[in-house]
Amino acid sequence: MIKCENLEKTYPLRKGQGFQALKGIQLNIGRGEFAAVTGPSGCGKSTLLNILGLLDNPGGGRYYFEGRDVSSFGDPERSRLRLEAVGFVFQSFNLLPRFSSLENVCLPMLYLGVEKEEAAARALALLEKVGLRGKQDNTPLELSGGERQRVGIARALANDPRLLLADEPTGNLDSRTGMEVMDLLRSLNAGGLTIIMVTHDQALARAASRTIRVRDGRIEE
Amino acid sequence: MRLSEAVRTGTLEIFSHKMRSFLTFFSISIGVISIMYSLTLIYAMSSRSKKALEVAGPGRMTVAMKRGGNSESAMDAKEAKAVITLEDAMAVRREFPELYMVSPGLKKWVEVSHGALNDEKVAEGITPEWKRRGWVYKVKGRFLNQHDLDTYARVCVIIEDGGWMKKPKWYKFYGWRDKFQDYIKHNDMLGQTIKLGNNLYTVVGILQEPPAEKNPKYFMGVSNWDPSLLVPITTSQRFLNGWAWSSGGVDDITIDTGKEATINAYKRKIEKLITARHGGRIRFEIKDYREIIKERLADKQRDMYTVLIIGAIAILAGGIGIMNVTLATIYSRIKEIGIRRAIGATRGDIMGQFIIEAMLIGFFGGVAGILLGMAGIQYLASKGDTEMMLLQWWMPFAAIFVAVLTGFLASLYPAYQASKLDPVEALRYE
Repeated sequence: MIKCENLEKTYPLRKGQGFQALKGIQLNIGRGEFAAVTGPSGCGKSTLLNILGLLDNPGGGRYYFEGRDVSSFGDPERSRLRLEAVGFVFQSFNLLPRFSSLENVCLPMLYLGVEKEEAAARALALLEKVGLRGKQDNTPLELSGGERQRVGIARALANDPRLLLADEPTGNLDSRTGMEVMDLLRSLNAGGLTIIMVTHDQALARAASRTIRVRDGRIEE
Repeated sequence: MRLSEAVRTGTLEIFSHKMRSFLTFFSISIGVISIMYSLTLIYAMSSRSKKALEVAGPGRMTVAMKRGGNSESAMDAKEAKAVITLEDAMAVRREFPELYMVSPGLKKWVEVSHGALNDEKVAEGITPEWKRRGWVYKVKGRFLNQHDLDTYARVCVIIEDGGWMKKPKWYKFYGWRDKFQDYIKHNDMLGQTIKLGNNLYTVVGILQEPPAEKNPKYFMGVSNWDPSLLVPITTSQRFLNGWAWSSGGVDDITIDTGKEATINAYKRKIEKLITARHGGRIRFEIKDYREIIKERLADKQRDMYTVLIIGAIAILAGGIGIMNVTLATIYSRIKEIGIRRAIGATRGDIMGQFIIEAMLIGFFGGVAGILLGMAGIQYLASKGDTEMMLLQWWMPFAAIFVAVLTGFLASLYPAYQASKLDPVEALRYE
């Protein structure tokens, strides 16, 4: 499903200088895998995730998404692929505060051009699936942390993605709600969804089917 | 992203920042009001000059002495001895029988008395061809004829003011009462003998003007020098005593060639003829009606440009306001932009979102301006501003269009900036 060859990424610091966040990443992730990416802070986990999620372009190397070389895609193609095939779950949830949970979940579908009524119906079903029945009219500010993350997951699932990327999804949650969210992710994985999760919690990483350790811009599995 | 969705989001955003939006609405409103005002003025002016031309006829021009300027120079004083005369008019008529109208006029400010009435009025000496100068009257009795002129008959025709269909409110306060008009309304003057200056004249006819709203002449501006009485021009020259501009001749000769295309040709021919008749010692000019109307409208035009400039400045200020608001909005919503990008929004989606929001601000500001402006214009119209009565249904739409366009243009740059944000950076922004 995902194949990376020699991925590199350098962030410019000053003229002529740069910080090399990724130094030749080789990675293969198959369909239906649940991979945990671990490593100390600043090792390049998030950079890797952003590239895998088509938010960022690699500085060098090749990235094949479902067999297609996407490393040279322009903004419209990358945005389109992100919209259709990738779902993001963030540590700080990143919901739009003025919108209800239902509207937050609807958003990706509306960008795809789904009719409003159809999107609302599907969003309602997704909210129910993540255990938020009856909370569709609440804004994120009226929800608890665990509930917000469930809305975030529902939103990531809105367009039926093939790949779910989660960046420290339990980082802002207490251990009990964290475990609940992990259970949700695991059940989604059991349903066939490919998941890549960044975490530095070893216990959570063990729940995944595979652990990828990143250190200093390189992978040591 | 569907348009309806973007509009909904934009509206939500506008109403969650009430004060900020209100201030922008405000300046846009002022712009829209002044645009509507100046549109109405422009429209009034063009429709008036069109109407005036319609009344005047297509081939109208006036022969008159040159007024003002530095005519006191030695050369001019020596040259300018002759004045235009009735004989000039008759010569033009003889020479060019194909002209639709050759109508000389001589206005005199005379004392009018009859019974309790004693007033100073303008009596114009005319020929029967005066009838062709835009006839808008209903006649009681008869009009002046060639026989009256040939016999120097002491007869006159009274012009009766048409009044108003619905008197404007200002008229009660500012409208002066015309003693003469009051008198002739309450006394049937037809067939009566009336004293003009030192002589007695018989009123042979009364011309009734249509009400002001329907009177195209009214739109050209009311003047103190509009005549209240008409007398044969020959009688006026020989007997009527009163103060006049012209010494010995006539004020002007109004000519209608009947066709717009022939104006210039006749202008030259008539100029040559009159110059020749006076041996070159005459300072006169021939103005065609378009020039005259243009001169009359020049003041209004200055007003209009002033208002238009104020409007443009207000709209510009509104536009800058929108640009500022949009920029501020973008900085306070960097995170949101990042989230939307991560979800799958393209650069175009982000740009469209902010542009639509700014256009909505323009639209709401425009609507507010229309409501205020309509109220103001209705008020002015009720106070008797005849220009403002000519507000057209499409003008508010044009004003709203300008407001929305302003929103669009003003948001292009900020929206482009927003769309250029790096999604990773934007997401990390706190």
